[in-house]
Amino acid sequence: MGKKITIFTTNTCAYCVMVKRFLDSKGKTYEVVNLDDNPERQAEVLAKSGALTVPVTLIQHDDDTEEVVIGYNLSRLAPAIA
Amino acid sequence: MAEESTIHDVIMIGAGPAALSAAVYTSREDIETLLFEKGVVGGLTSITDKVDNYPGFPEGVEGLTLGDNFRLQAERFGAVIELGEVMSVKKVGDIVYLETTSGDMRARSVLVATGSSYVKLNVPGESEYYGRGVHNCATCDGAFYRDKHLVVVGSGNSAAQEALFLTRYATNIDILIRGEAWKASEVLIREVNEHPKLKVHFNMTTEEIVGVDGKVTKVVGKDKVKGEFIDFPTDGVFVFVGLKPVTYFLKDSGVELDEQGFVKTDIKLQTAVPGIFCAGDVRSGATLQIASAVGEGASAALSIREYLEARPVEQ
Repeated sequence: MGKKITIFTTNTCAYCVMVKRFLDSKGKTYEVVNLDDNPERQAEVLAKSGALTVPVTLIQHDDDTEEVVIGYNLSRLAPAIA
Repeated sequence: MAEESTIHDVIMIGAGPAALSAAVYTSREDIETLLFEKGVVGGLTSITDKVDNYPGFPEGVEGLTLGDNFRLQAERFGAVIELGEVMSVKKVGDIVYLETTSGDMRARSVLVATGSSYVKLNVPGESEYYGRGVHNCATCDGAFYRDKHLVVVGSGNSAAQEALFLTRYATNIDILIRGEAWKASEVLIREVNEHPKLKVHFNMTTEEIVGVDGKVTKVVGKDKVKGEFIDFPTDGVFVFVGLKPVTYFLKDSGVELDEQGFVKTDIKLQTAVPGIFCAGDVRSGATLQIASAVGEGASAALSIREYLEARPVEQ
C-alpha cells in the first residue's frame, strides 16, 4: 500500500502549488485540505505541526507513523515521500 | 553524485521574473536552457497577492497567476525548470561548474537571478514565534487570522499591499512604520489610508514580540518621538522590512559583490567572471520592480546569446 499524503493549503499560497507540483512530478497522489474552504480544520494544522502556516504536508507511512513537513522544504519532503 | 556528461548552454540560477524572462528569450533562440529554483517558481511575484504596476494588465493581476504565466511561456519554448538548489559556482577555463542538489553540472554560461529574501526584524520573540505568530507571507498564512487582530511591520510596497490583503481576514491591523513616512507608492498609501481596518503608526520601532502559552499576544513598540513604549495587542505579526540579496552560492566564484552584497555587473549585465551574467533583484543597482526584472532578464539573454555566439562549440 502506498503512503497516504495530505496537504493543507489555501487558495493564495504559492508554496502549496510548489508542493503539489513536486508530488505530481514524483507521481504521488494526495488529498488536499483547503483551509479557505474548511477553516474549521485550521486547528488540525496547529496540532499536527505546531505552526500556523501552509503548506503543511502529512505523510502517513506504511507502519502508521506520521511525518509532518512544514512549508515547501524539498530536503525534508523528498526523503519523506521516497 | 556523478557529474552530468552534458554541458548546458546556459544554467539560470533562480526562476523568478528575471530568469523566466531570460529563459523565454534564450529558449526561443534554441539556446538550451536549464533553470534551478529552490523556492517558488515565479519568485516573490508568486507570493504577492496582487500586482498592479506590471504593464499589460489594466485591472492588475494576481501574483500567483503572473508567476505561473511567466513559467508557462518559458516552458513553451523548451526551457526546463529543475526544483533544486545550486550550492556553488566556479568557472574553470571556458566551463562553469555548478554543484547542485541534482548533482554536479557544467554550463557554457550562467545567469544569476536568485532575487532577494525578506529581512528579519531581529527583535526578541521573532525567532521563537516564527511560523506560529510571526510571518513573511500573507498569501500563505493570512487565512489563520480570520476575525483576529494583526500587526504589520514595514513601510514599503510589500507592507502596504500585504496589509491590504490581510484585511480580508483580520478585524483590525496596526501598521508599525519606523520612519515618519511611507516608502510605498501613492496609490497604495491612499488605499491604506481609506481602509477602515488599517491604522498606521509612524515613528514606531518594533522592540519585542511577546507571547503566552506559545501564542503571540502583543507587539511592544516604541514611539521614537515621545520615547514611550506602547503595547499593540495582536494575534500575529507580518514582517516586511526589507530585502537582502541571495548570493551565498557565489562564495569563491570570483563574482564581485557590492557593499550590500548585491552582484556587480557591467553594462551588458555580465559579472566580473566572463560568462556569468546577472539580472533582477539580486543585481547591484536593481530597482526591485517586476517590470525591471523582466527587462533585465531579456537584456541578459541577449548578452548571453552574444557571448555564446563568440564561443562556438567545437564539433
